[in-house]
Formats: sequence, C-alpha cells, structure tokens
Amino acid sequence: MSEERNYVHLVPPLFEQGSLPDFVQSGRSVGASLSPLDNAIGVFVGPSEKTMLAPTQRRAQEGRMYFASMHKPPTLERRLFITDTSVIFAAFQNLVTNSKARGPEVLRSDDGMRMMGKLANDYVNFCKECWVHASTTTTHLPPQHYNTLYTSFSLFTTLYLPPNPALLDLPVSDDLLEWLNIHFIEPSTEEGDALVMNEKCWEAEGFWDYLLRTTLRHLTKATTFFLNLLSTSHPSPHLRSLSSTLIPLLASHPRLGEFGSEREFVVASKRWKSSVKGVRIELDLVPEDERGGEEGEGEWWTNLSDLVGILEGREEVVLRVVGELGGDWREGVGVWGWVDGRVRRGDLPDILPPILNALPPDPTSVEEMLHLSLFKGDTLEALKWAEKLDPWLAAHLGDCLQALELIGEGDGEEPSARDHYIISYAHYLHSDPALWRLTVDYMCACGDVGKGMGDEVLKRVPLRLRGSSASKQTPLGKGKEREGEGESIKRGEVAGVLKEINQTCWEYGREEVRRMVCRIAAQEFTQEKEYGLAVSYCTSAEDWEGLGRVVDKVLEEYVQRGPAIFTRLVASVAPSLQQLRVQPSAYGPYIHRLMFAVRYAEFHQRLGNQDWQEAALDLIGMFCDDVVPKSWWAVLLGDAVDLLGYQKAMLFSTSGVCVLLQKVEEIQVRTEQGSGDDYLTVLARVTKCGGIKEALHRLKRVRLALARYFARCTVIDVGGKEGGFRGVKG
Amino acid sequence: MIQTGLVQNAHDDLVTDASYDFYGLRLATCGLDQRIKIWGLDESTGTWNVEDDWKAHDAPISKLSWAHPEFGSILASSSFDRTVKIWEQTSGGEGDSLSPHSHSLNGTGPGGDLDRGKGRDKWVERAVLVDSKGTVRMLEFSPRAFGLKVASISSDNHLRIYECLEQPTLTSWVLTEEVDILTLPYSSTPSSNSHSHTVAIATPTQTHSTLDRDGPGAASASLVAHALQQSQAQAQGSGGTVGRPGMGNREADGGWCLSWCKERYWGEVLAVGCGVSGVIKIIQTSPSRRPVTLLTLDPSPTLPTFSGSGDASGPTADSDIPTPFAITCVSWAPSCGRSYHLIATGGRDGRVRIWKIKPEEIPDGEGDSEEREREGWTGVVVADFDEHKSAVGRVEWNITGTILSSAGNDGRVRLWKATAGSVWRPAGHLSVEQAEEHERADVDMEENQAAD
Repeated sequence: MSEERNYVHLVPPLFEQGSLPDFVQSGRSVGASLSPLDNAIGVFVGPSEKTMLAPTQRRAQEGRMYFASMHKPPTLERRLFITDTSVIFAAFQNLVTNSKARGPEVLRSDDGMRMMGKLANDYVNFCKECWVHASTTTTHLPPQHYNTLYTSFSLFTTLYLPPNPALLDLPVSDDLLEWLNIHFIEPSTEEGDALVMNEKCWEAEGFWDYLLRTTLRHLTKATTFFLNLLSTSHPSPHLRSLSSTLIPLLASHPRLGEFGSEREFVVASKRWKSSVKGVRIELDLVPEDERGGEEGEGEWWTNLSDLVGILEGREEVVLRVVGELGGDWREGVGVWGWVDGRVRRGDLPDILPPILNALPPDPTSVEEMLHLSLFKGDTLEALKWAEKLDPWLAAHLGDCLQALELIGEGDGEEPSARDHYIISYAHYLHSDPALWRLTVDYMCACGDVGKGMGDEVLKRVPLRLRGSSASKQTPLGKGKEREGEGESIKRGEVAGVLKEINQTCWEYGREEVRRMVCRIAAQEFTQEKEYGLAVSYCTSAEDWEGLGRVVDKVLEEYVQRGPAIFTRLVASVAPSLQQLRVQPSAYGPYIHRLMFAVRYAEFHQRLGNQDWQEAALDLIGMFCDDVVPKSWWAVLLGDAVDLLGYQKAMLFSTSGVCVLLQKVEEIQVRTEQGSGDDYLTVLARVTKCGGIKEALHRLKRVRLALARYFARCTVIDVGGKEGGFRGVKG
Repeated sequence: MIQTGLVQNAHDDLVTDASYDFYGLRLATCGLDQRIKIWGLDESTGTWNVEDDWKAHDAPISKLSWAHPEFGSILASSSFDRTVKIWEQTSGGEGDSLSPHSHSLNGTGPGGDLDRGKGRDKWVERAVLVDSKGTVRMLEFSPRAFGLKVASISSDNHLRIYECLEQPTLTSWVLTEEVDILTLPYSSTPSSNSHSHTVAIATPTQTHSTLDRDGPGAASASLVAHALQQSQAQAQGSGGTVGRPGMGNREADGGWCLSWCKERYWGEVLAVGCGVSGVIKIIQTSPSRRPVTLLTLDPSPTLPTFSGSGDASGPTADSDIPTPFAITCVSWAPSCGRSYHLIATGGRDGRVRIWKIKPEEIPDGEGDSEEREREGWTGVVVADFDEHKSAVGRVEWNITGTILSSAGNDGRVRLWKATAGSVWRPAGHLSVEQAEEHERADVDMEENQAAD
C-alpha cells in the first residue's frame, strides 16, 4: 500500500553509509532467494567470486542471513475486507462470463450495466463500511486509507458506472456535486452551529465564507436560513432587501432532476438566470458609500457580489471563491454546475484546463492524481495511480474498466491491463500464505496465463499431512485443528487443505495440478509408511508408476523388517486393490505387483495363524496365477521349506510340488546362464546370507525338502493323486 | 518492504547458496565451511530453526537444488571439490541399510553433529557423482516431467545431466549427457546432426585434469592452484575456442551457470553459460540425438541476437571483438502458459538482462511453412539494467515469473517487475548498507537467533 517503502536497509548493516568500496574490497557479496511460500526474500552474505576461489580466512561472524517481505501481510481486519470484497469480485466474474456467453452486447445493455453498477456500488459500500469501522473503533486499519478508497471508487462509479445507466447520457454536474458533498464535507455542521449562536452572525469570522460555501455546494437550506437572518436583522436596508430577493430565487433554482426533459430544464435555467440579473442590477445600484464596512455591518457588499457571481455562473468568480475558501481543483469540478450545468461525462477533460489553471493539483498526492486521471478519462493512468494507493483498488477498478471496454483486452501475448493489476493484487495476497484460495481465485480470473500462475501457487500449498508435526509449529488453536486434519486424512478421508486443494482444482479444471498434489501426498504417505493411503492417492492420480514404487517399498518392508510388520502394513493396502480391480484405466505390471504383495501378506497371515493347509494352497495359487515377480520366486520357495517338512499332514498336491520344482529348476538354469541377479538378490537380502552364490546354495534346502516330500509321498502313498490333500494322523 | 528476520552465524563462514524447498517451508543453505544446513520455518513465529547440519564436501559448496517433492525429500549439492552429491531425507533409520553410499565423509555425515532425538528424518548421502574435471559451479534438478534428473555445469565447460534410474534407492545415477558447451553445434536442421547418442555419454575427450581427485585433501588444498592449472589445461585442451587475448585466470574471470526450461512442451531445454564467452546458449537434449544449440543469447552490441539458424561458428570464434564479460548467472522463468519464455541473466559487467525467447513456430502445413521453419527460436533483450554497477552474482525468478531478483557485489538485492505495458522496471531493493540516520529509527523486526 502507499505507505510502504519499496526498499529496506537490512540490520545489522554490513557496511557504513557510503563505504561501498570497503565492502567490495572485503571480498563479500550478497545473494538472495525468493520463497515460494509468500514471495519473501531470503538474503545471505556470501563471498565474492574471488573469495570463493581462494577463501583466506574464516569469517564465522559473517555467515549471516536476513529475511524480508515485500508487503506487510494483511492484518485481521484487512483480511476481512479482502475476503468480503472477493465475494463481489466472484459475482462480477460470473456476471461477465454469463453475459458474454449470451452475446457480446448483453453486458453493455441496460440490464447488464445496471447489474455491474450494483456490484460496483457494493464495492463502494464495503470501502465505506471499512472506513467507518476504522474511524469509530480501535483497529489496525488506517481510516484515511479506507476513506480514500471509498472516495476513489465512488468517483469511479459516479463517472463510469452509475447505479442507473440512464444517467450516463445526462449532464453530470449534479452527480459530481453530490460526490463532492459526500466525500469532502464543507462547511462543517459545527461551523453553522457556531454562527447560529452568534446574535449578529454576520459580524462573526467566517460568516461570509460559510454562506459562500453553502451556496457553492447547493446547501440551500443553510443558505436561506442565514439569508433570512440578514433580511430581518441586518442594519443595512439594502442587504435586507437583497437577501429577501435572494431567498425565493435560491429556492427556485432549477435542478435537472426536477424536469421531465433536458429542454425544459434549459428553458427554466435561462429564465432563472435572467432573474439573477435583476439581483445584480439591484446590487450595483447600492451607492458606493453604503456597501458595508460601517460599524456593525461587516464587509457585506463584495461578499454578496461574489455570491451573486456564483449564481450568475461566472467562471472566474466560482474558481476564485473556491480557491479563497481553501478548496482544491476537485471542488472546482464539483461545483462546475454553476458555470455550466449541461456538462456531460465526456466533456470533463475539456473543462479541466481552466480549473487546473486556477487550482493546480498536488502532483505528490496519489489520490489527487488518481482522481485527475479518472476525470480526464485516462483510465490506464488511473490504474497506475490506483496501484500506488492500494493493489486492491487497481485490481477491482481494472476489472470493472475492462468490462466497460474502457481498457484494452491485451494482445494475446502480453496480459491486458486488467489481468496485470489483478495478478499484481494476487501477488500481494500471496504475501499471506493463509490467503492461498483467494490468490488462486484472482489468478484464475486472468485467462490461461493467470491460471498457469494459479497452478504454481496451488501446487505449493503445504499439505500438512503430518498432523502431529504441523501442530508443533502452529499456535495452540490452529495446531489442534490441524492435528485433527492430519488424523482424519489418515483415516482415509480427504480432509483439510488437501480437500480444499482438490475442490479448487476441480472448480478451475486444474486436473494436472490435482494429480501432482495427489502424487506428492502419496510420496509423503509412503515416507510415513501409510501405504494404504499412498496407494489410494496414487490411484487418484492415476500414477501407476508411483503405485509400483509404493508396492516396491511395501515389499522392501518385508526384506527389512520381516513378515509380521509386512503383514500389518499390507492390511491397509488390501482395500485399495479391490477398487483398483474395477478401475479400467488401472493396468499392467504395477497392479500385478500390488496383487502379489497383498496375497503374500495373506499367506504370511495364515502362517501366523498356523493355518498351514490354506497357506500351502496360497503359495501354490500365487505361482499358478503368475503373480509372483521372478525376483521373489526364491523367497517363496524358501517359505515352502517348512510347509513341505510339516509332519502332521501332507500339505501339497503332486502338481503343486511339481510347480515348486519347476521354479527351482528355472532359477538354477537362469543362474547358470548369468541371470542370477534377477532371481536371487531378494532372497540374499531377506536371509542376509551374503551374495547370489550363497542364495543359490540356500536354494538347495528347497530342493532337499522337495525330495523328502516326494519320498514321503512314495512311502506312505499319499498325495500322489491329483488334488489330493490327505491328512496323516500322528 | 520490511525486514522480518535475521539469523546471525548461519554458517561458520560466508554463505554460498540458499535454496527454498518446493513449499518454502524449509531452506537449505551451504557455505565456504563445506557444510549444508537445513532450516525449518516455524510458521507461528516466522523464525527459522536448524533441523540438520552436516559436512557435505571437501571444498566450498557452490550450489544446492531441491528435487521435486514427488520424488521425496531430495537435495543435490555441487562443490569446488568437483563432485555433485545427492542427499535424501529418510524417516527413522531406514537410510543406512538402503544405500551403499549412506556412509559419511570423514565420519561427520548428516546427523553427526546434531542430536535430533527420535532418530527420524535423517539426511543420508545417496550418490557421489565424480565425472567433472573442474569445479562444479551450478546444478539444478530438471522439471518433474523429465523424471529425476539433475544437470550440472563445471569449469571444464561441460554440461552433465544425470538421471536416477532406481528411484526408491537413489543410488544409481547415469550420466545421460556430457557436452562441451563451447563446441556444441547449432541446429536448424536436426537431421544434420548425424552423431549418434553414444557420443554424448562417451568418455569426454578432455583429459587434462592433473589433480588427484580421489585424495580428500586435493581439492581443498589450494583452489587457486587448482584454478590456474585448470585454466592451463583448458587452454591446451580446447584450442582456439577459449584462447582469448588478454584472458587471465579463467576460473576467476569466467562464469558457469545453467537453468532448465520449466515447460515440458519443447522437450528438455536448458539455458547454459560457461567460461568467458559472455553468451548464453539455449540447448536442447533428447535421448535420440546429440544435444544441439537452439539459440545463442549474445548481448554484445555488434551481434544483437544470434538466431539458431545462423552461422555455426558463432560469436565466440571471432577474436577481433573485445573479450566479453562473463555471464555469471541465468534463470529461466516459469512460463505459466505464456506464449514466450523469459530468461534472466546477470554478468560481471554489472548488468541484469531479461530476454524474451520465442520458441520455433510449428509449421501448420500451409504454403509458407518452409519460411516459418527457418525462423527457429528467437530472442530479444526486453530489459537491460545496470543499476548494480558491479558484478551480478545471482538472478532468480519467483514461482510465477513475475518478479525477478538480482544480487550484486554492491551489497544490494534488487527486484524487478513488469508494468502494465510489459515494460520491466525496478521494483525495490534490499541493502546491507547502513541506513541514513533518520531512517534507522523505524526498524520493525525481531532477531531470529540461530538455534545453535
């Protein structure tokens, strides 16, 4: 905002004011990085290239980092203002989009203009509310700033987007006067009250200033009240008479709003002006020596002459009086109706030169420059000043101006002025990471490029999946809330930030981002060993490669931590497999590997439950269904050894045992052919027995177990028949 | 602009790089002290606390880069010890058993200095990439779309791209590209590059490294000596292309930098600068052919823009032109759907330049397609700032490519933004110079003492 400087001297400083050469000599330099979180700037003190190549001494005290921010993040109240007005912005976008869909002219129709005018007026009202709030309560909001926003947005609606579009074609003077009277209140009620207290008010200081100002400002009641006093109590008979002539004249001053047509108004104005001429003649007839200055009369004649001059619409009088009263050029424009009551909005740039000549604007006042550009119809210039005042103002004015086709739409390559200022405002919002939704909303309102920028913000919204660690870093209340989020996410619900990101992606059609966020979530869950969640997020992202990696990780758990933990971990994955089976886009080897992990865990579950028979069935089933990756064959064969040696029953059928034998044979052959790595690495790691050679040696145990099993079959004559599983008692 | 924090003694010596992670919640820093530190942001107070700290290299570390979070918590570091190292944050003690590289140099590896309790989130060394014949000056992970790849540029003028083939373990990195930037050909007609892909991954022809790379003390013994030797080696090795009149110490005068194009549409494209050439080359790599230069960005007034269709000899061969100032840093802006690219460079001449790059138009099959095809990639300077008045060491874009930061030897970090008419303008600065008396009073910040 305007009060923010665009530079900062970091403290503690590294060198004194003006001693840059010493700094350069010292072989130091600075570097900086911009934070993706909030565009904060991290500055570090580093070596110059020379020092980097040949560091001479250690500079322990100098490895320093500074952090800075481009904007002060919005205060709580400011955030409310931002959030509330964003609702209007969203409504405005809807209006524009829907209207454009119905035809190019719909937005500029009376209805369209009326609706836009209504929304613009909502902006004005919010600025007003904020200003009132800021001035009546103790807040962090600077009241003057919001008053300026209120004044400026209100001027914009007066000039470009009045609530009633019909006004656009009519003379603007009454509207301008109203704007002036609302935003630059003069004279104050207190001044009037003070004068009333005075018996001979015309002798009081400021009496004539008051009367001239109420006249200029069309505050007829106040003017006539005091003219009434003059007409009854002033010592000068001339003034008494003139005052009583003026009272009905002022009351009958024609105003455009009172007439059915502009023509009638013009006729009435002419007639009225000629009556004013009568007052001038009467005034001029007052003998020189009776024109005031006497004891008890005050300098009435010159002041009354100015007053009549105003009524006559004399340009030089009006501007001189405004100047003398301490008014600025805007007051000159506001009361221009006295000079020319038929000025239209389009004529404003033409009437400005004499006013600015008499009442030069203050080039250092951003507000005045903004208002001047609006009066001049220089909309691009106005946006420039508006941004200096507050990026909020430039963004919302720019949005309205483009809808009114008062600024260009951009050439396709560079963003339009509207988009530029909205994006700039979005950047300001980005300085508060908690406002990411609004940042994205505003960016996504700016075409494809804006959406592209929104993507960058959206995908970097911290997911905070680690509920407990997040809670450590946040204030009490928030932390608990986040911990809750983390917990419900872990229960498999899409909650918290993740849910909101999902929703935002869906709203703006950012499927790529949604998938990326899911993939990142899957990665984090994998890291946390929440494999079930990892699988479901991979599925949601349709990231089959990622799914493969999760499964590898799950299998790695077996290798690292053994079957018990493996079984427990896989239990969370199993439900996802069911879903995956019905998903048509899910394909290929990754699903197979997942299936293997699940079935292998089931197998170990049965072993744990001492359900030997089923376990043996599972084992053979896995081989027959071809779900076992080659690298795991040897491990499963190892598992078979105990089952083969089970004394209480013959657990395998002949064909099952043959399958096992085949696999052993294949591994043997392949290893001899040099592919041992493909088949035996996992076994070697699981058994921690050394290398391939040792693993192969270990496989001999399987061969032996198989041989014994066959021998037992022969001896006790069981298991020889296809599918036969006969228990042998004792 | 306001100062929001300060960390005194972030390192035991000057800091050489600081890199925010994907979310901006962590910051990795490195320094002349050969250590890497990982800082975590406490969002409730806005302060940064050390999470990890370890000795990572045997010489000053030049750069750090975070991989995309989809691959996990992975960091790469490049150093004057001529190596690139890959680090991974692992949960609860799993790391050591996974990787043959998980041991630490000199016994002071990650976690060695800090007692972090719980034993979670340790940083583990996953790979050491030792192909460089010179000091490694810059590295950057590729955009996610291209997989887990990291590109580095060294003072031997070689761009090297490594790809991780086994993602879960991160131990196996293959050198997929190794290109001498100075001798890289231009491409207007890709088919003319008949060299097969194998050239790129073959052993580099430059074998003049005289230092014993394996000795742990070798690289750190004397970097000046190293630099001088290196420059001699370069002069012999590369012949006329680098032998410039009046050229002194190449390590000290040159600049080595790179930045990936963030857009996947054009395939793998990088902006690379090296040595004292004073130009940035836009290079395209692909698995099926040798890397080619699409465009050379040459800011020298005599050769305004060197289009890809131009003379293959390029500006570097012309010895009549005075030695240009080296480009020390380059940053490719995220494109965010723009129809063009923005590339920022900073140089020893104290200039920050912004280039607007337009990719080659894809002919739509109409009659004038040949005409169009010849246009190739084009680039123009859209901003040229000399405010730093001294060498610029670093340029960096924000995540949307709308704010550029530059840092120079003048002790200032400057920010640049485009106006509504797309004209780039200064947007403020941060200075380590003492403020004038009257400005000192209104300082609004709290000191964030380093945790250690």
